[in-house]
Amino acid sequence: MVTGTVAPGRLRRRLVIAFVLVAGVSAGALAGGSYLMLRQARYDGSLQRAAADARYQLVLAAQFLPLTDARRADLLASFEQNGRHVLLVADDTRASNPRYAPTPGRALRASVAAGQLGFQRSASDARSHLLVVGGRIPGSTAELYVVTVEDDLVDGLNQLRTALAVGWAVVALLAAGVGNTLARRTLEPVGRASRAARAVAEGLLDTRLPVRGRDEFSAWAASFNEMAEALETKIEALSRAQARERRFTADVAHELRTPVTALVAAASLLADQLDTLPADARRAAELLVTDVVRLRRLVEELMEISRLDAGREAVSTQPVDVVALLRGIVDARGWADRVTVAGAAPATATDPRRLERVLANLVSNAIEHGGHEVRADVRHAGESVIVEVTDRGAGIPAEHLPHLFDRFYKVDPSRTGPGSGLGLAIALENTRLLGGHLTVHSEVGRGTRLRLELPADGGGDRCDA
Amino acid sequence: MEGRVLVVEDDASIREVTALGLRRSGFRVDTAVDGPAALAAWRARPVDLIVLDVMLPGLDGFEVCREIRRTSQVPILMLTARTDTIDVVVGLECGADDYLRKPFDLPELVARVRAVLRRTVAPASDTTVTAGPLEIDPARFVARKAGRELTLTATEFRLLLELARRPGQVFTRELLLDRVWGHSYLGDSRLVDVAVQRLRAKVEDDPGAPTLIRTVRGAGYKLSTG
Repeated sequence: MVTGTVAPGRLRRRLVIAFVLVAGVSAGALAGGSYLMLRQARYDGSLQRAAADARYQLVLAAQFLPLTDARRADLLASFEQNGRHVLLVADDTRASNPRYAPTPGRALRASVAAGQLGFQRSASDARSHLLVVGGRIPGSTAELYVVTVEDDLVDGLNQLRTALAVGWAVVALLAAGVGNTLARRTLEPVGRASRAARAVAEGLLDTRLPVRGRDEFSAWAASFNEMAEALETKIEALSRAQARERRFTADVAHELRTPVTALVAAASLLADQLDTLPADARRAAELLVTDVVRLRRLVEELMEISRLDAGREAVSTQPVDVVALLRGIVDARGWADRVTVAGAAPATATDPRRLERVLANLVSNAIEHGGHEVRADVRHAGESVIVEVTDRGAGIPAEHLPHLFDRFYKVDPSRTGPGSGLGLAIALENTRLLGGHLTVHSEVGRGTRLRLELPADGGGDRCDA
Repeated sequence: MEGRVLVVEDDASIREVTALGLRRSGFRVDTAVDGPAALAAWRARPVDLIVLDVMLPGLDGFEVCREIRRTSQVPILMLTARTDTIDVVVGLECGADDYLRKPFDLPELVARVRAVLRRTVAPASDTTVTAGPLEIDPARFVARKAGRELTLTATEFRLLLELARRPGQVFTRELLLDRVWGHSYLGDSRLVDVAVQRLRAKVEDDPGAPTLIRTVRGAGYKLSTG
């Protein structure tokens, strides 16, 4: 049972998303981690070099003691000339180059005041990335801060970050592509299997799935094929059995025909001469004649249903006046005092002989079960001609209605009516041949209505004679 | 005495009871059990009508019918036992005049036999009918086209006569079934179609493009003299 519609491709999308997530997260973690470690190493290296340099520069700076105003200027000029930007804090704070004059932070000043080397890096939004390493000039209270420009280092790190980000995006895209392809390949057997299952459901029992390799899908395909095989075998066996049964019915009917022909002919001779027979023999002969009529009807209907089963019945379409046909049936069978025919319909393109079989069976059924008040109403609705045969009989209990058109089905098994039990089945088969529908509506105690709906334009195959 | 009928039927019971029924209705009856016996009986003593079963051992009813038609237009009534309607058509194409499905009622058989025989006997009042190139003399059972005599079975003769009596009028299949075959109620209209085909083969210059007996689509047939 299908309980909801399955959007094709939803599973594929989910698989692709999972694939991209896994690839993206792992590639991102790898790239991010590498970047952070590399950045740390580069910063550490830069700091170590700067610290070693600062120690050396402090010793050099000690040569300028005592730091008079003029010597301070000399110190700054000397350092600047040698490519070192410094910041000298003696009584005041002076920078060797005003472009590189960071303000030492409180933590740095505290470290330096404690007689240690200290460092600080300028905030990243500054124009230049500066590393400031400071210490106290030995033998004085003056503090010297050496400024290292780290712009190249930061630029390098930024480029690396950009490269890693682009790389990550490429990996994610690749993962999406590969994931999509893999998902499609993986899910292809699922799609094939669902198409195959649908084909089997539609009756193409020879549908099989290709079995390739040794994966789970192959095992599944093999099981599917086994199921289809079993189904096909079973259904073939069933239809063979049905064909056998139908052939048997046809053979029986056919074999019965010759003796029944002799019986019918003999009975009609006998019927002519009933008066000449002694009373006892006459009653027996009457019964014989009556039962031969029943036997004949049964054999003829069996033969008709066999012909219909064999599908060899041709439909020959011509314009038919349904009301006139119905009146003809009623008159010819002597039902005129029990059946009211009413309504009108335009000429209907159909097979009059088949329609006669249907209508005669419907009316005869209504008379058998509905007593004397039978109505046959003909009307025209859209593209259809509708004939409703209504009786005021006992009605049919609801549980019997689905089987009403079954062969030899009896609503009351104890009742033996004059019918063969095949009349409505024959009516139904002929209705199908004519491209129409036959339905029943019944209420216990109120009566039964059999409704025939025929396409007014013939519906089935046309045959112009 | 109504006439002599040959009943060809392999089943002994059917043969006997059919013969009995026909005799009771005033016919003289010969019987034959199979095809060769039927042909031998027919050659030994011609009859007025043959009741011929389709399913016969040896030579089947169609072959017997064709063989008889080579030399004679004697009325033939086919008994079809097989269920296919194709049997009926083949039987009629072989030249049978009418058919009856088994099982049949004896009174119906007798009625059909009489109806077929009636076609061979002209009503006394009938005068010669002329329509276009056709000249039909019911009294002498002779039909001519442009002076040449046509070889027609009784059914074909009666069919042509019906059409020729009112040239240009459209005859429905039902009407022809009633007038020619005497079937009163929903007989098989293919009976008419097959008989018309056989009649065209004998009457038309080109049976594939008929100019005399025209089909009126959805209605029936008419004789065209224009």
